[in-house]
Amino acid sequence: MVEISSDVSRGYNDTMILSVLKKEPSYGYEISKQIKLISGGKYIIKETTLYSAFTRMEKNQHIESFTLDTDPGGNGKKRTYYRITDKGREYYREKCEEWALTKDVIEKFIEQ
Amino acid sequence: MEIIKNYLESMFAELPNTQEVRNAKSELLQMMEDKYNELIASGTPENTAVGTVISEFGNLDELAESLGLSGAVEETKAKASEAPRRLITIDEVKGYLANRSQKVLLRSIGIMFCIICPAPVLMYIGNEGIGVTLMFLCIALGVGLIVFSSFMDHQWKFIRKELCRIDMNTASYVKDRKKSFQPVHALCVALGVALCVICWVPNILISAGENSVPGTALMFLIIGIGVLLIVYGNSVDAGFDRILKANDRNTVSGNYTSDISDLKFKSKTAETIVSLYWPTVTCIYLTVSFLTFAWHMTWIIFVIAGVIYKAVVINCTEE
Repeated sequence: MVEISSDVSRGYNDTMILSVLKKEPSYGYEISKQIKLISGGKYIIKETTLYSAFTRMEKNQHIESFTLDTDPGGNGKKRTYYRITDKGREYYREKCEEWALTKDVIEKFIEQ
Repeated sequence: MEIIKNYLESMFAELPNTQEVRNAKSELLQMMEDKYNELIASGTPENTAVGTVISEFGNLDELAESLGLSGAVEETKAKASEAPRRLITIDEVKGYLANRSQKVLLRSIGIMFCIICPAPVLMYIGNEGIGVTLMFLCIALGVGLIVFSSFMDHQWKFIRKELCRIDMNTASYVKDRKKSFQPVHALCVALGVALCVICWVPNILISAGENSVPGTALMFLIIGIGVLLIVYGNSVDAGFDRILKANDRNTVSGNYTSDISDLKFKSKTAETIVSLYWPTVTCIYLTVSFLTFAWHMTWIIFVIAGVIYKAVVINCTEE
């Protein structure tokens, strides 16, 4: 089975994560589940990739993290949630344009 | 879930123990746990769930890069290939601990015989022949046991001499053993110290204030048993610590047990000072007491030592 190569996905992991976070703040596993779902099960993001992206994007101020008490039982289990920043939204738009261009160019060389 | 935890621990074992790395580890564990729980809830067999979670974990090189740890990872890799740490398996640990408790018991008994050796001379006053013979018998027995016991752990010399490491499983096994030994350890030391402190009481009782010969003999016996208990308790406990400290303190794996020994020493010397503190105090106490025979006052040494101990620990440990 053909899989998406990590060279290609690397440049667009951030875009996928931002696209999920644009809808609502979310946490690690939920984000990876959404990505799998939206890609129709064709792309599964690795945990290390996801966490690397979080730290990188937080450093670049594209996302912010906050902790939330999520356990209904209330035994103090906290989750790290992420939300998109304005800078992140801007970056997302840029990446979308960049992809449109990339796709446009590469398409011309692809034989169907 | 245990397998997943152990897998993650082994991946992180050689990374430097920093806040960033600890955060990364706990976040990754959370994600893996979520995924695992959902797979189980949807009816996936446990083995398949574990396999899926581990296969979708990714690799640490990528993570190290984004955490700015590439240098550290390369360094530990180089160190590992240069001077590989020998892994102590859990079975070896069990063997070592069993062997050690026998060894330290024999050694403690040996020390006791050396301490009580003057007693027979005092008891057989007027019949020096028997007294002195028994004294030499005590010494021979004591020294014999000490020497014999020092050869007993020959097989486990590598734990002392070589750089070793243990995995998470072994660490928690030893931690449990240490915890369950804790009451015995406390009892041994408390009883041992108490015996050393009150050793002069029978002497007073028997002789109504005067130093009597059988009373003094009894005193040696009580001190002997007291020291036996202290040495035995401390040495067994030290065996657990030796295993628990096998890993490099600066890596994640060196902190498997940080919740149990919360004292982080500034240096090896500081650690030695603290570990020798109470035996030294006991020695001083016994020496001073025997020289002055002021047993009714010398116990105050322990009170003063208790105060100084706090200061020593503060100076020798990081917060």
